[in-house]
Amino acid sequence: MKFSIYQESRVGGRRENQDRVAYCYSRDAVVMIVADGMGGHLHGEVAAQIAVQFIAEAFQREATPKLADPVRFLLDSITNAHFAILDYAEVRRLLETPRTTCVACVVQDGVAYWAHVGDSRLYLVRDGRVEMQTKDHSRVQMLVDLGRLREEAVGVHPERNKIFNCLGQMTPPKVELSRRALLRHGDTIVLCTDGFWGPLGAREIGERLASGDVMHGVPQLMDLAEARGGAERDNLSVVAMTWADEVAEAGSWISTLAMETNEKTTKLSDWGKAAGEAQSHLTDDEIERAIDEIRSAIRKHSG
Amino acid sequence: MPSQANQPLPDGYQLQSYRIMKMLSCGGFSIVYLAHDENDQPVAIKEYLPSSLALRHEGDALPSISEENLATFRYGMKCFFEEGRALARLSHPNVVRVLNFFRANETVYLVMRYERGRTLQEYIQARKGAIKENFIRRVFTLALNGLREVHANKLLHLDLKPANIYIRNDGTPVLIDFGAARQTLVQGGFKLNPMYTPGFAPPEQYKNRELLGPWSDMYSVGASMFACIAGVAPQASDLRMEKDRYVAATQLFAGRYSEQLLETIDWCLQLDHLKRPQSAMALQKVLLRERDPEIARKKSFVLNLRGALSRLARH
Ligand SMILES: Nc1ncnc2c1ncn2[C@@H]1O[C@H](COP(=O)(O)OP(=O)(O)OP(=O)(O)O)[C@@H](O)[C@H]1O
Ligand SMILES: [Mg+2]
Repeated sequence: MKFSIYQESRVGGRRENQDRVAYCYSRDAVVMIVADGMGGHLHGEVAAQIAVQFIAEAFQREATPKLADPVRFLLDSITNAHFAILDYAEVRRLLETPRTTCVACVVQDGVAYWAHVGDSRLYLVRDGRVEMQTKDHSRVQMLVDLGRLREEAVGVHPERNKIFNCLGQMTPPKVELSRRALLRHGDTIVLCTDGFWGPLGAREIGERLASGDVMHGVPQLMDLAEARGGAERDNLSVVAMTWADEVAEAGSWISTLAMETNEKTTKLSDWGKAAGEAQSHLTDDEIERAIDEIRSAIRKHSG
Repeated sequence: MPSQANQPLPDGYQLQSYRIMKMLSCGGFSIVYLAHDENDQPVAIKEYLPSSLALRHEGDALPSISEENLATFRYGMKCFFEEGRALARLSHPNVVRVLNFFRANETVYLVMRYERGRTLQEYIQARKGAIKENFIRRVFTLALNGLREVHANKLLHLDLKPANIYIRNDGTPVLIDFGAARQTLVQGGFKLNPMYTPGFAPPEQYKNRELLGPWSDMYSVGASMFACIAGVAPQASDLRMEKDRYVAATQLFAGRYSEQLLETIDWCLQLDHLKRPQSAMALQKVLLRERDPEIARKKSFVLNLRGALSRLARH
């Protein structure tokens, strides 16, 4: 696979960053994840952290180096992340379960698959235009569907934060799955939180990323979103990747060709303080297993 | 919490089959001891003990870890395991050898072969830089052997610096401290941040970690060679990315070192990762190419002498 990828998460005008982003790739598959912890709820960032980490870890286990079934993977890992958040709340006896949105995308065999819960979005940009995008699970989106609100007004609507489907809610979330999208050379996939898409809109995002240069295009868009967001601006986060033909000319592409089949590269946005606490507990069992593994490697390699 | 220094285990403490002789070093992430094994052979033992998370009080063996810090403490332990895993796979004369790994006192320990000598950092401090060209070429050529082995195992060191290059008393170098070989997975837990050392880390280690590769370690090798001469590290690469104040070694040290060595250092210290030596081997070749003319002369003198002697012997 060949692609270039960029991710960034900014705190905006808030005190805390409750967004989390990550990507991870093996030789034959990539996963990108964005989660926006819900501020109205306690520990939103913990929910976002658990979601991102849970899905990234599932990928690390299952992409060997391909996922057996990308759609199944998305559905199961997102659903299980929801239960992991509930478990977390139960163990800590939290009064309220932390909640988060989530959008995740897998690319494998040149095909993109994605799934989302809530109002974090995915855009597929082709030739400078948004070719496909997710539909938010929010009240304002319902108003749009009913023809009572224009698409462009969504980002500034006072009720735009009300979503009716998220991880950590009482009932299991409804994970909306995309169709398969066959990628072409130069296609860009953008996953982002509302702090990013809200002030920008699909058209601008498409135009700015027309060149497929995510390394420069995304930070520029973030600057723009921040400038427009004002002092009260929300956290804003993006992970974006541009897909390239295997035969693409040299450039800043990542090529996974030389990777080992069991090798993975992972990048997660910085953990905040609460996030650190949310690190999955390394159990005594896991510690024992790691030690056994190291000891047997020492035995094997001491000649 | 301000990082207080941790209390080391007391001298004479029996740690499984090892007896602690003395503390060698106490860092933010770990403490290193000299110990003796059951055959009274010396070993170095590294104890995972991040002082911001786990404090050991005088007279205790067990550190106290608050409920709040436990998860992060265990997360850091994962990183320590990575170091163990990385080193366990490497068996090379220029890479420190791991002998054992175990759990005790609610934490974990890495046992290494004890090496007699001192770090390159100590050499530099003692001489305020100004290390001889021959020494630099020899030490780094050998250190690069170790690094080739690291890279051949699909690992990156990512924390190469004079403090982590240990020079044995026989003058050969050995790479220690693979704490950063924890690779890309670790994105710096908030309380565990001893990751890179300013001045020695390449720009892609701060940002764009997906660009990390063998060339990233080459930057650190270049910065370490620079420090051997200048006595201090070059300007930190994140600052260089904003406003580059790096003055070429060829300019700074002209006349005192060979042009070719200085060029090599500048080559390693390119901000653009594609413009650096792309592998340890590529750099090694260049370091081996030109010898000090003084040495070359002596060598040819010795060769001539030997030739003359052998001719004499035949007569
Ligand atoms: N195998 C060894 N033999 C002799 N001395 C050693 C050995 N390993 C480490 N040391 C000594 O301990 C010091 C610290 O070791 P090391 O660099 O591995 O740990 P550190 O810098 O404290 O680690 P971290 O960066 O993870 O906190 C070294 O500078 C060296 O003086
Ligand atoms: Mg060190």
